[in-house]
Amino acid sequence: MSTDWDVVVVGAGIAGLTAARVAAEHGLRVVAYDRLTPGGQLVNLTALHEHPGGTGPELVAALTAAAEGAGVRLAYAEVTRVHPGSPVRLETSGGEVTAGAVVVATGLGPGRLGLPGEEALARRGVSTCAGCDGPLFRGRAVAVVGDDEWTAEEALELAGWASAVTVLVPGQPRWSPDRAARLAAAERVEVVPDATVTALRGEGVLSGVVVRTADGERALAVAGLFPFVGRRGPEGLVEGLAADAQGRLVPSGGVLVAGDARAGAEQSLTAAEADGRAAGEAALGALAASSGSLRIVDPTHGVLPEVDAAPVGAGSTATWTDVALFTNSKPNATELLRGLGERLQAHWGLPELGFAAKENASVAAEKDTIDWLSQRFKMVLVAVGD
Amino acid sequence: MELERRGVVAPLVVTETFLPLVQAQARARRVEPRLVVVPHPVGGLNEAELAGRIEGAAAELLRMADEARGGA
Ligand SMILES: Cc1cc2nc3c(=O)[nH]c(=O)nc-3n(C[C@H](O)[C@H](O)[C@H](O)COP(=O)(O)OP(=O)(O)OC[C@H]3O[C@@H](n4cnc5c(N)ncnc54)[C@H](O)[C@@H]3O)c2cc1C
Repeated sequence: MSTDWDVVVVGAGIAGLTAARVAAEHGLRVVAYDRLTPGGQLVNLTALHEHPGGTGPELVAALTAAAEGAGVRLAYAEVTRVHPGSPVRLETSGGEVTAGAVVVATGLGPGRLGLPGEEALARRGVSTCAGCDGPLFRGRAVAVVGDDEWTAEEALELAGWASAVTVLVPGQPRWSPDRAARLAAAERVEVVPDATVTALRGEGVLSGVVVRTADGERALAVAGLFPFVGRRGPEGLVEGLAADAQGRLVPSGGVLVAGDARAGAEQSLTAAEADGRAAGEAALGALAASSGSLRIVDPTHGVLPEVDAAPVGAGSTATWTDVALFTNSKPNATELLRGLGERLQAHWGLPELGFAAKENASVAAEKDTIDWLSQRFKMVLVAVGD
Repeated sequence: MELERRGVVAPLVVTETFLPLVQAQARARRVEPRLVVVPHPVGGLNEAELAGRIEGAAAELLRMADEARGGA
């Protein structure tokens, strides 16, 4: 059976990168797709708890280097549908590919309350990343919704910035006694069990939430809301594969699922890494089974793939007076860029600067924007990677 | 990074904390980005603190820009 790849890994978080590395170390031809950037949830974690990996970005760097060192190809595309079989067929935003085995490691979607107006308030008060957005709420009140260990850690991190942190727990907390003690000792943190958020308040930006408890409903004025509930798995991504109540996939029929995306997963870095390792090994077994006992492995594994192509000019006629700023709209990114842009403008005597913005830091830049910038400008100052 | 691939000079402002991540992404995309590194964080800074970040990064950016223009 001839396929584009021996193994396709869908999602390059800790589970996917580990699975890909392990499979490649066995000499398999492996590609790992990510629709955003390698690292997944890790990218948002400044401090890692119960894992010795340093900061999130440091661990991503180490995992990516190890995978690439083993010969894994990292590709930037969204996998939109997986058709199991022999070969496995995958539809991606960059076209269709075939493989001998597939590992689904897409993690979970962001936290959601499922309330009217929630989407419109995303990044206008509603956030799922304390490390990224916590500083925005310096001296203001915020609420956190969730019941697990990471909710507790996010609440404690937010208490470093916010004036008050109310932790709204849908039922009873599931966090450890140690975290309960740390929350109780934190002056600005209040934990409210059996609490349901029933509505969001705010025109354009969040101003508060309505909370129902056994004592009835009350309004809570908050500038920030961090939901860590309602995260869903990749239900429907793989043809014919069953999912649990949270949309997490139940592996079967030769489809391997690793990390948070797997039904029953523990949702921790250590567990996702172990899962990835097991899936990488299992991929080898699945390929051996489908191709009989003899397997010819790629003797060049561990060798970095050739550079794709030399940098391509876009046929642009831009000159050194054509300079633009491109912000990812993270807090203060635009202000920082404008400040630096002014310096450059003065230094080079530029009449004006172009400007483009990505609406949301956590989505890839639109192709149209990149096309426009690369055709119209000679230099584009980009911010901010933080 | 896609911009650099297309031949545009695209200095990227990145905080120290995210430097390893950006470097890993760059390796994965096989580009050598031009990086202007500033102390973490950027979000949540007040005006004076932000002005300090701009002050600290401006010299490096101007050097990089002059070099790119000179080498073109
Ligand atoms: C707020 C928070 C804090 C946490 N803190 C800790 C901690 O301190 N310690 C700890 O041990 N655990 C922590 N966890 C849990 C831990 O982060 C996760 O268990 C772990 O990162 C899951 O890894 P993963 O590889 O399964 O998924 P992810 O990290 O979610 O990666 C999945 C990747 O798949 C990509 N993807 C998704 N769909 C597609 C598609 N269709 N096509 C292509 N790519 C796709 C995504 O872009 C993403 O990069 C925390 C979780 C949260 C939410």
